[in-house]
Amino acid sequence: MDKTLNYAYYPGCSLHASAGEYDLSTRELFNLLGVGLTEVPDWFCCGATPAHNVDELLSLSLCAKNLELAEQVDGDVAVACAACFSRLKFTQHTLLEDETKRRQVEKAIDAPARLDGKVKHLLEILARDIGLERLASAVSKPLSGVKVACYYGCLLTRPPDVPNLDCVEAPTIMERVVEAAGAETVPWSHRMECCGANFTLSRPGVVIQLSNAILDSAKSSGADCVVVACPLCHGNLDMRQKEIEGVYNAEYGLPVFYITQLLAVACGAGAEKSGLGALMVDPFPLLKVKNIL
Amino acid sequence: MKKKKMIISSQTMELDVVRKVEALSGTSVRRCFQCGKCSAGCPMATFMEHPPNRIVRLLQLGQWQRILAGRSIWYCASCETCSTRCPNKVHLASIMDALRKLSWDAEGPSKESYVQLANRLFLENIRSYGRQYEMRLAAVFNVKSGQFLKDLMLGPKLISKGKLKMFHQKNRNMAEIEKIFSRIEEMRKKGEAL
Repeated sequence: MDKTLNYAYYPGCSLHASAGEYDLSTRELFNLLGVGLTEVPDWFCCGATPAHNVDELLSLSLCAKNLELAEQVDGDVAVACAACFSRLKFTQHTLLEDETKRRQVEKAIDAPARLDGKVKHLLEILARDIGLERLASAVSKPLSGVKVACYYGCLLTRPPDVPNLDCVEAPTIMERVVEAAGAETVPWSHRMECCGANFTLSRPGVVIQLSNAILDSAKSSGADCVVVACPLCHGNLDMRQKEIEGVYNAEYGLPVFYITQLLAVACGAGAEKSGLGALMVDPFPLLKVKNIL
Repeated sequence: MKKKKMIISSQTMELDVVRKVEALSGTSVRRCFQCGKCSAGCPMATFMEHPPNRIVRLLQLGQWQRILAGRSIWYCASCETCSTRCPNKVHLASIMDALRKLSWDAEGPSKESYVQLANRLFLENIRSYGRQYEMRLAAVFNVKSGQFLKDLMLGPKLISKGKLKMFHQKNRNMAEIEKIFSRIEEMRKKGEAL
């Protein structure tokens, strides 16, 4: 175990529920890479989109509380979910800029806001902290011949100055990570478009329309599969894919992997520990044809 | 459109509403010069009766009640594309948050009730459990919106894949979360926060 590299892991609600395979594969991947991951004790929901939509003060306070809780664990905060990542970064950014909001939040959590800790998405930990070379050297089953459409969605990079993960309109970080595992990435049009996110509960028709455009673009680019780093993007593209195919009379059959699932497979974790069985669009035919499993 | 002479002044602009939105959002409403880049990139504009640039224009013209009565603000996905592309650094996604808060506090003059219902259930879950409880979210939404059969076919599949948990996760430190909610309510009662 690399003692110098340990993270305070904030999984977020989805990873303990509908995105269990993202959690499982993240833990397995970090284990294989020899990097420490310690879950933040008693973390709360970050409030996600619904909280900031109607009550920004609540959203900022919930995130500030989580940042305070994360201080109990050594190391930077590691976040898997794009929405949690966005909210935690937004909170740091807003409270550093706005003295009034900071005072209100400190009153709400009855503690000083901890804003200097580093909050990192798994992608930047993999690409920058661990590094592409170390990642590539851990790969035992290279993903040769697999054509991957890397899907970023909204919150990993937007808006400027907040997540600071990569270029806001034309990022390459996910492609570089996937290529380090031996896969091929395709250029395509919809990697930064919105999938409809949490309208999946209130207005699924919106999701069907927006996610169809994304799947259609990925398919036309010649991709074998889509890779995501957000539980909501995954839910919309994987869980609703069959329904979308029915509505638009299309046949996509595109497996949608979490980035950590694909990397865990490449590092030899096997199907079970990578949580492949939880995917709705069957990924096994693809991985068998390419001789990876 | 009726042809009617329009006079713009600080009264017709309803500057106090503009200032409130600016305080909540931390961005300028008045800086927008209507280039329309926000609406050009908005993935949700197709579902709105007023596209994003018009929302700002209505606000500049003191017609905020038309915004709150409509459904557009509830169809914003918070994708941040508008804020990213604005040449004048108007953070429109935050203006949308501020407008939704005004509508929310006025107890929903908008026609769009499903999105508001989903938000309400989501926030209730945080207060009751500290974390999300997806099964309750979906079940209560279907009952309260009267769509008993919505996603019915999906449910059993999700359960068999382990994606929909029957029981909720609960935070051990619920007293702490309740304090955050009640301190914010207290601040608002005393007029210390918007």
